[in-house]
Amino acid sequence: MSYQEKNITVSLFSHLLIGVYYLANLLPMIQSSELVAGRLYALWSIVIAVNIVVNIIASILTNILLTIVEAIRSRKYEDPQFIEDERDKLIGLKGIRSTYFTFSIGVLLSVFAFIYGQPPLMMISLIVLFSILAEIIGDVSKIYLYRRGG
Amino acid sequence: MFQRYTCIEEGVEMGKSQVKNNIRKLRFNHDEMTQEQLAKKVGVTRQTIIAMESEKYAPSLELAFRIARIFGVPLEEVFYYTPEDE
Repeated sequence: MSYQEKNITVSLFSHLLIGVYYLANLLPMIQSSELVAGRLYALWSIVIAVNIVVNIIASILTNILLTIVEAIRSRKYEDPQFIEDERDKLIGLKGIRSTYFTFSIGVLLSVFAFIYGQPPLMMISLIVLFSILAEIIGDVSKIYLYRRGG
Repeated sequence: MFQRYTCIEEGVEMGKSQVKNNIRKLRFNHDEMTQEQLAKKVGVTRQTIIAMESEKYAPSLELAFRIARIFGVPLEEVFYYTPEDE
């Protein structure tokens, strides 16, 4: 498994955790039909902020851990060379395409939910949910492309 | 009436590519150069060399030229194209 694949796997797990946390907080509100604006704003803020922070921290931590593991394995320290070549860039672009495609469908479905009588809070909750789902699908498609083309 | 066009995206094919290559043979003939050594020389990851050798990935024209230059042979000695119907 290459450095990029490991990085994407970490990103996938962090997105899955964020998704589970979001659903665990959102579903009880929907089931009890209590979409309280204040609580939802707080939830959206936490999820979006954590998503950004986790993306950065996960990337840095993966770099550090992989450098340590590589140094232990080869028993000498070498400057890590985490190069990104043309194939990595291509797979990255395809992953982003999957992310945007999923997110676009999600936004469309959320707007339809609003048109068919759901409250605006539900529409935005769905958009946030689809943004997390889009990130997960983007990561999965990148891992799939790495497996298929490597 | 309608001409059939085949579209080949550069550096895109991820299934079995129609662009074949002799990289493995050329590596062997060049002092059994490892995939890692070739990857470092042309500035890509070892995984990309593996993908090219197993014909799952067709490189960009620039990378193809860099590989041919490392082996000191013309491009067509490293890469060749086999149309689907052949």
